[in-house]
Amino acid sequence: MSPWRLEFLRLTRTKKWVALAGVYVAFGLIGPLSARYIKEILARVGTDGATFTMPDPTPADGMVQFVSNASQIGTLVVVIVAAGALAFDAIPEMGVFLRTRVSPPWKILVPRVVVSFCAAAGAFLLGTGVAWYETWALLGAPPAVPVLAGASLGVAFIAFVVALTAAVAQRARSVLSTVMTSLVVLIAMPILGLAPAVSRWLPTSLANALADLPAGGTMNDYRPALGVSVVATTLLVWTAFAWAGRREA
Amino acid sequence: MIRTRGLVKRYGSHAALDGVDLEVPPGSVYGLAGPNGAGKTTLLGILAGLRMATEGEVAVDAAPGKVAVLSDTPRFDPWLTGREVVALALYLSSEHGSMTAIESAARVDEVLGQAGLEEASGRRCGGYSRGMLQRLGIASTLVARPVLILLDEPASALDPQGRREVLDLITTLRGHATVLFSSHILGDVQEVCDTVGILHHGHLLFQGPLRDLLVGRAVPRYELRVRTGADAVVAALSREPWVTSATAAEGGIVHIEVTSLADAELRLMGALAATGASVVSIRPEEVSLERAFLELTS
Repeated sequence: MSPWRLEFLRLTRTKKWVALAGVYVAFGLIGPLSARYIKEILARVGTDGATFTMPDPTPADGMVQFVSNASQIGTLVVVIVAAGALAFDAIPEMGVFLRTRVSPPWKILVPRVVVSFCAAAGAFLLGTGVAWYETWALLGAPPAVPVLAGASLGVAFIAFVVALTAAVAQRARSVLSTVMTSLVVLIAMPILGLAPAVSRWLPTSLANALADLPAGGTMNDYRPALGVSVVATTLLVWTAFAWAGRREA
Repeated sequence: MIRTRGLVKRYGSHAALDGVDLEVPPGSVYGLAGPNGAGKTTLLGILAGLRMATEGEVAVDAAPGKVAVLSDTPRFDPWLTGREVVALALYLSSEHGSMTAIESAARVDEVLGQAGLEEASGRRCGGYSRGMLQRLGIASTLVARPVLILLDEPASALDPQGRREVLDLITTLRGHATVLFSSHILGDVQEVCDTVGILHHGHLLFQGPLRDLLVGRAVPRYELRVRTGADAVVAALSREPWVTSATAAEGGIVHIEVTSLADAELRLMGALAATGASVVSIRPEEVSLERAFLELTS
């Protein structure tokens, strides 16, 4: 029973993989569908005489709907799943079991960070694939290169989210406080991003790339955020490893 | 095996440990006794490398992978089976490649059997009872054949049967490893350990062989029971020069401390006969760790 198999079992036996894949696949199905039929939906809802005039949906709208729905709830689920694995001191007796057998303590984190990231990124890419296919079937094919580039930037954002959760988990006392603190940081970023000069440097802006690039955005718009995200992810993982070693069980 | 010098651990202004000089001989079963809050868990945490000492020196003569720790209420991921928990403990504690898969499985089976968990080993440990979790913790502790085992209150929260099983398991470790066993249940320490340390408010009040503690504190005492007139017996015996104290308790019980057992054996029966009391029983009282502990800490 290796620590890698332990993390695989954590995902499968606790059904966390179902939560991750379920959220992204569900929004992958719903997003393009709602983009395609939004006019019909509004007409059936009843508008008391008001008339809505909307342009015909484009393939890019399918990805926009997917991202707008999945980015927030998906990120929330990623943080919850990652925190459950990364806050290994939340139950002190479990922390003692691991810390007295694995030295130095950062080695405990390696499989947890890697497996959490791979599961979250896999679920995101699966949802993206579903949204892409359904957009193609309902609205026409979105351009492949921008979709792939947007998905790659989305994966970079997920890496940042997992690294942030890993660092917070080494200071927080419980899974709940790890989740809440991580979410506060992630929510604070878009608020900072209200200032246009700051927005393009924030890792959270990468979450929107999958919607923006197929709609005509350029990769250059995301280079600052990608650079910051790569550096921040590296520093956060390093910080998590350092804090894991300093913490007293 | 373990040696500390002037060990201090402070949490803010509170000193959980204050100048502890611990000496655990190799191969011993050392009982660290003390009331709740004495500093036992803190001391074990420092020895296990889980906490940092504020001051002092710690020397543990065992490689990090050869030290095993069992917390007072072991908990594991509830979706793992008992066998998987022990297999994980073996994997994490062993050098990679030191055992084949067959050897590892055989070793896991062996300790599960030793802990009496063969039948439950395939069940998820989330459904285990408190006693089964404690035995699973002990199996995980033993599986990698550690040379130093640190047990923090391993039987304190168990029912009598679970406690008995855990104490028997600890007894089997004698000769195989050095065991440091903390408990506030002094009867457990007296039963299992050959060396004791008495920790109280962060100070190590006594340390040495259990025999030295008990013999050093041995005041010859008798407990006698009379049908009626215990107070009159106390009054009469208190006048005897070889009686250092006599006190009455409920149910006609009288506790007597004497200057020597030889004096008591020679004169006690005569003195009792002179009082005219109806004597139900007389027996010398053995010195217990509990009494020695109370004398040390009072």
